[in-house]
Amino acid sequence: MAENIKKIKTAPVIHVAPSPHLSSMALTTRRMMIDVVIALIPVVLTALYVFRWYAAKQLFICIASCFAAEMIFMKMRSKAFSLNDYSATVTAIILALSLPGTAPWYVGVIASFVAIGIGKVIFGGVGMNIFNPAMVGRAFVMIAFASAMAASGYEDSASAVDAITQATPMDAFKQTGITTSLSALFWGPTNGSLGETSAFACIIGGLYLCMRRTASWEIPTGVIASVVVFAGIANLVNPQSQWTVLHHLLGGSLLFGAFFIATDPVSSPLTPKGKFIFGIGIGAFIMLLRLFSGYPEGVMFAVLLMNALTPLINRWTVPRALGEQ
Amino acid sequence: MVDQPTPLERFVQGILPENPVYRQLLGLCPTLAVTNGMKAAVTMSCAVAFVLLCANVITSLIRNLLKPHLRIVIFTLTIATFVTIADRFLAAYMYQMSKTLGPYIPLIIVNCIIICRCEVCASKQSVLTAASDALGQSIGFALALSSIAAVREILGTGMFFGWRVLPISWPDWVIMVLPPGAFLTFGILLGTVNWIGSYRSEKSGNR
Amino acid sequence: MVKQNKIIEPEATGMLKSKKRGYILQAWLVLTLALCFGASLAGVQLTLGPTIEENKINETRQKVPELVLGAEKAQKIEEQGQALFIEPHTISIEKPGKKISYSVYEARLNEELIGWVLKTAGQGYADKIELLLGLDPQAKTITGLFILEQKETPGLGNKIITEAWRKQFINKDTGRQLIVVKKGTKALNEIDAITGATISSRAVTGLVNTAIGDLKGSLVAKASHNQPTKDE
Repeated sequence: MAENIKKIKTAPVIHVAPSPHLSSMALTTRRMMIDVVIALIPVVLTALYVFRWYAAKQLFICIASCFAAEMIFMKMRSKAFSLNDYSATVTAIILALSLPGTAPWYVGVIASFVAIGIGKVIFGGVGMNIFNPAMVGRAFVMIAFASAMAASGYEDSASAVDAITQATPMDAFKQTGITTSLSALFWGPTNGSLGETSAFACIIGGLYLCMRRTASWEIPTGVIASVVVFAGIANLVNPQSQWTVLHHLLGGSLLFGAFFIATDPVSSPLTPKGKFIFGIGIGAFIMLLRLFSGYPEGVMFAVLLMNALTPLINRWTVPRALGEQ
Repeated sequence: MVDQPTPLERFVQGILPENPVYRQLLGLCPTLAVTNGMKAAVTMSCAVAFVLLCANVITSLIRNLLKPHLRIVIFTLTIATFVTIADRFLAAYMYQMSKTLGPYIPLIIVNCIIICRCEVCASKQSVLTAASDALGQSIGFALALSSIAAVREILGTGMFFGWRVLPISWPDWVIMVLPPGAFLTFGILLGTVNWIGSYRSEKSGNR
Repeated sequence: MVKQNKIIEPEATGMLKSKKRGYILQAWLVLTLALCFGASLAGVQLTLGPTIEENKINETRQKVPELVLGAEKAQKIEEQGQALFIEPHTISIEKPGKKISYSVYEARLNEELIGWVLKTAGQGYADKIELLLGLDPQAKTITGLFILEQKETPGLGNKIITEAWRKQFINKDTGRQLIVVKKGTKALNEIDAITGATISSRAVTGLVNTAIGDLKGSLVAKASHNQPTKDE
């Protein structure tokens, strides 16, 4: 008891602020967001290398319209417009990287406005949102423009960029049973959403984030662990399948989602245990959707579903106060 | 006894000040379910108007015979009868529309707008007042439904009442025709209505 | 509190007694209304019932000429003032573990059998798909396909109702299973999948295959059974 009192005395100031709740003065929202932007650099570079102007165009559209949306909605709420915390930038880049390069311009614009407007501002701005804003925007356009966003929308056989002329690895396997080589999935010269193709780039960026403690390592670990387990079970049940555990890990947007989308500090649980449960849930939903749904990939819906469960996980994993029974 | 509103007051109140959907948040099931096109929304509004008018008039006619503990039974009986008539009528003369609306016509029976109007107005006031109340509420309901349906149909299909209003190159926002579109549109419109309301009251309060 | 209870009690028991006595009396309004409403509903049903039934049957029947003859011929016949004779049948098929009943419409023009229309339903991507399938008298080729009911994704799966897609089925040989392929049909028994809606396309094609497989035998038997009587 005496110790407790001492502790309280040494830190008498209680900051009441919207989450992310900061434990260190050096760990500001702005610094975290800049970290995420730095971590995204390898992914952006591979996207630019693989998809060329498709990636550049999509990034430009999303960043411009996210800024515009932030400006308009902040003005409507009569709050000072500020891009200083870089959160709109991060939302824009993640959103752009989760879209197909072939998507027409209005898809990026509408997704950005929905992401900022319905995903973030409606809940009260940075730190108040329940769902990952970028995924809200993507889910909206995914359902609204099904033909541009479905697996077939990724392909354009007339394109000059090699990657875009092929089917995405996930869809190729789901529809025709063709497996893509593991090295292609690892380095990334395949079709897919802009940021997801190279597992290598995602791992580098993700490790940087975890080392800087901007992302909690528990979430990606949970996701990967549960995907390995469920993919392993699926392989045991169906041993002749060409799509192995490693394909499940490296293919699709799994690593991109695990490192950059699921780790959003606002919409994920607070405690380490909760984060691990959150990650396991995402992995389980991803495998459920990949194996049993009509969609070839399920990262987006898995993250949104687990976002909805975050308050519940937080309640389960409230750390017990000292001395409480 | 408290002064009861006059027929005119009842009529005007139903349209905007006490709009059944935007103000009282009643009857949301059809509001969300049948607003993916203007035709369906208007047919639904007409069916509700018919049932509401008939139920209100009958309830008002027998209001002096009502026993408090049996009134809900009688309301339900009356409403169910007119809903069945409306349902059969649609199936006979507007077969395609009746298939589109599906179970939502029979579900008017449990639409709270009607039982609420029977309870609040028709069981206490004269036939004339009850009828004008029913008309006001129906117009309010129709306005609400068509405002949502207009947004959803135009964005979702580029058409209005089946007429193309946006260029053919318009990319249909399929989500607006699907259930999530109903929730989003309704939420945003409801927010706008509340925002206008609070803005107005703020203005009048300042004076 | 205790005092109040004592005062109320005799009144309450009195009310209860009178209530028990007057259940029927009290409910007279409910009963009268129920009778009146019941009678009026019966009237409504009597007047509208036939129209509703007719609507239901017409929905299928109106499609029969087009499905059997094709749109142009069907229109010609209508212009000439000739009407098809349509006779509904129900054919039950025994399958291991279950029994399936199909509605089959026999279409005759001037006493001559010109084709069959089958009604079948099954699971699509989102919900049940119900369709009509037209066949020639010998059940050898498909003469038409019409989707009665579907709730597939707008913009993708619901393209199964477009004529451009349904047209592919016309003149297909029923001897071979139809197969859904992506991008460009090569063999005669191939159906082009709708872009992004392979599941819906497969569902419809599967329904067509099963219906033909189930009914071909009995249709051929029926046709040959009917033929001699006409020849004589």
